[in-house]
Amino acid sequence: MNNKFFKAVGNYFKEFGTAIVKGDIFVKLSLLFMGAGYFARKQIINGIIMMLLEVVFAVMCVGYAAPNLAKFGTLGTVQFEQVFDPLTLTSTVNDYDNSFQILLNSIIALFLIVVFILVYISNVKTVYRLQMDQKEGRHINTFKEDIRALFNEKFHITLMTLPCIGIILMNILPILVLIAVAFTNYDQQHMPPSALFTWVGLRNFKNLFTNSATITFGYSFTKVLVWTLEWAVLATFTTYILGILLAKFINDKKTKWPKFWRTLFIIAIAVPQFVTLLLVRNFFGDTGIVNTICANIGVTDFLKNIGLVSKSLSYIPFLTSPGWAKFMIVMINIWVGVPYQMLIATGVLMNIPEDQIESARIDGASSFQIFRKITMPYMLFVTGPALITDFVKNINNFNVIYLLTQDVFVTSNQALANSNAKEVDLLVTWLFRLTNEYYNYKMASVIGICVFVICAAFTLVTFTRTIKGDKEDEFR
Amino acid sequence: MKKQFKFIGRHLVLLLLAVIWLIPIVWLVVTSFSGYKGINTAHFFPQTWSLDNYVALFLRPDSVVQYKKWFANTFVIAVFTALISTIFVLMVAYTMSCMRFKGRKQLMSFGIILNMFPGVLSMIAVYFILKSLGLTNSHIGMIIVYSAGSGLGYLIAKGFMDTISNSLREAARLEGASEAKIFWKIILPLSKPIIVYTVISSFLVPWGDFVFAKLMLNSGISTDWTVAIGLYNMLNKSLVNKYFSIFCAGGVIVSIPISILFVIMQKFYVEGITGGSVKG
Repeated sequence: MNNKFFKAVGNYFKEFGTAIVKGDIFVKLSLLFMGAGYFARKQIINGIIMMLLEVVFAVMCVGYAAPNLAKFGTLGTVQFEQVFDPLTLTSTVNDYDNSFQILLNSIIALFLIVVFILVYISNVKTVYRLQMDQKEGRHINTFKEDIRALFNEKFHITLMTLPCIGIILMNILPILVLIAVAFTNYDQQHMPPSALFTWVGLRNFKNLFTNSATITFGYSFTKVLVWTLEWAVLATFTTYILGILLAKFINDKKTKWPKFWRTLFIIAIAVPQFVTLLLVRNFFGDTGIVNTICANIGVTDFLKNIGLVSKSLSYIPFLTSPGWAKFMIVMINIWVGVPYQMLIATGVLMNIPEDQIESARIDGASSFQIFRKITMPYMLFVTGPALITDFVKNINNFNVIYLLTQDVFVTSNQALANSNAKEVDLLVTWLFRLTNEYYNYKMASVIGICVFVICAAFTLVTFTRTIKGDKEDEFR
Repeated sequence: MKKQFKFIGRHLVLLLLAVIWLIPIVWLVVTSFSGYKGINTAHFFPQTWSLDNYVALFLRPDSVVQYKKWFANTFVIAVFTALISTIFVLMVAYTMSCMRFKGRKQLMSFGIILNMFPGVLSMIAVYFILKSLGLTNSHIGMIIVYSAGSGLGYLIAKGFMDTISNSLREAARLEGASEAKIFWKIILPLSKPIIVYTVISSFLVPWGDFVFAKLMLNSGISTDWTVAIGLYNMLNKSLVNKYFSIFCAGGVIVSIPISILFVIMQKFYVEGITGGSVKG
């Protein structure tokens, strides 16, 4: 696949080269005036559009790209200063540099320059093709026909333009910014506009794996990472298995009113997650109702006696002690996730070829054997890719952890607290609080990149299956 | 006799499970009718019953509770998000499913990888980009956040369109229909189920989202908020003892339309997921 890629890139530039070498004077002129080739073939409007594009780009370069890119190396040098003039009672602000704006604008400028170069190259190729068309007497489209083509054989360009702009703005650009910030010292002490930040190379990455008296990120990162993976495995498999079992149980012929039971479980998840999770958090609060009931019927004392609850407490620390909180989070996630899985599994189970099960039964297989040898393999075959997607989603399961533990869980582990982490934090919630509460953008970006690498690794597994084994044309 | 015993046992287990799953919901509903405003820590059911929480929610807006405003805000954001997202998703899905052009597979792979990048991570950058455009604390900004990248979620819709027979499009093409016409007149009418699914699922996003809303609408002016942040704010430590029951009432009200839509959507979701994968 790599070979193919390089070949494609090579071809791309080869075509460009041929166009320049073999093109006539108008094609060569296009290198300077992008519209020239079109004017020569009487595509006046195309020519004007290209000329305008070139002018706009030149203006953008001078007015926007150049001033920002000039400061890109340092991310600004002029510190914010405010001078109060006692005579006029006004304060004047100097012409300061805003590091973040410089960073952002530079990335946008670089992006635009790359796009322009691509357009530029394809422009030369197009005018060369026009030259060949003319020479060989082929029809050259009028502007009207070009427009019409955008709704016919080139309809994909029309359709994709807006969604792509949206994706570039909201997905690609932020990722680029995030990656850039990971190499700077952007944090609370370096917050634009009042302060500057600058490049620090790989220092943040080193810090993430350092463990010393002052920097505990190494320790916290390992702890949070281990819990994140533990959580993702637990959350994915518990809901998956229990969801399938529940679906089987409800869909069994011996169960009356399957629709009614299914609806009951759906009601529980139809309520928005933030409502139920915030509610459950109070339900299991230290002075919450579950604790009251447990104390009344003696569960609290029992747990104290067998050592699951510390003797000094008068309540069960459902969401306030690390061990209990982790247990409860997994349990509550089962509550949230099983109905979803049940719904999906129901759909899949209904599609299992009935005759296979029938013949197995005739051969004397027990229902457990049927489940293990027929139902489960089939389920795994169909939902396997979705299982990995679920796993990745759980690595990033922000809602459950954040809504259940924010403001409730306070860590007593000094090393963790030093790097603003908690025992129950996933990488994403840690990252979120680092930015939202502590303005530690540099470390958050580094963690973000780590999460991405982890997710990408797992995704590649599914990805090769869904794309390569794509059978999109098979059932038409 | 033994069979009957098993039958009862099976349904008792189901009943027990259903009760476990419904307890929090029941608690939500009964607490919303409580006469006491804080968290009732001693009893499951409230001691005094009243409708006052609902009255407070709608008729007595104060600096904390602006429920009608939140509902309207969220509704407007949701409508526009649903509209834009659906258009984007359908456009991308059609392109990827029905059109053949150079670089299509590469683009699809790229989209899938990009979609795996969790939104939470790049959130901060999104925030700053919108801030430099002056769109934080505005509903237009929220609509952009929810819908701009929605084209990446094309897979389910594409899977559906993959099952529409080729011959239909070929016949239309023979009669001289343009690609745009085929999209508009043939594929879209046949994709109704998946359109319904896309509309509802994107409509639900702003109602359930909490993270982006909290980050973007950070002015502290409660009339700007969406339902999710408004309700979350009521559980603030300093407010929870005065507003917990009102929170529950707000939760009940927002849940009613959402759960109805959710149930409708689920039908299509299961169809979409299983339809695509089983046949493949």
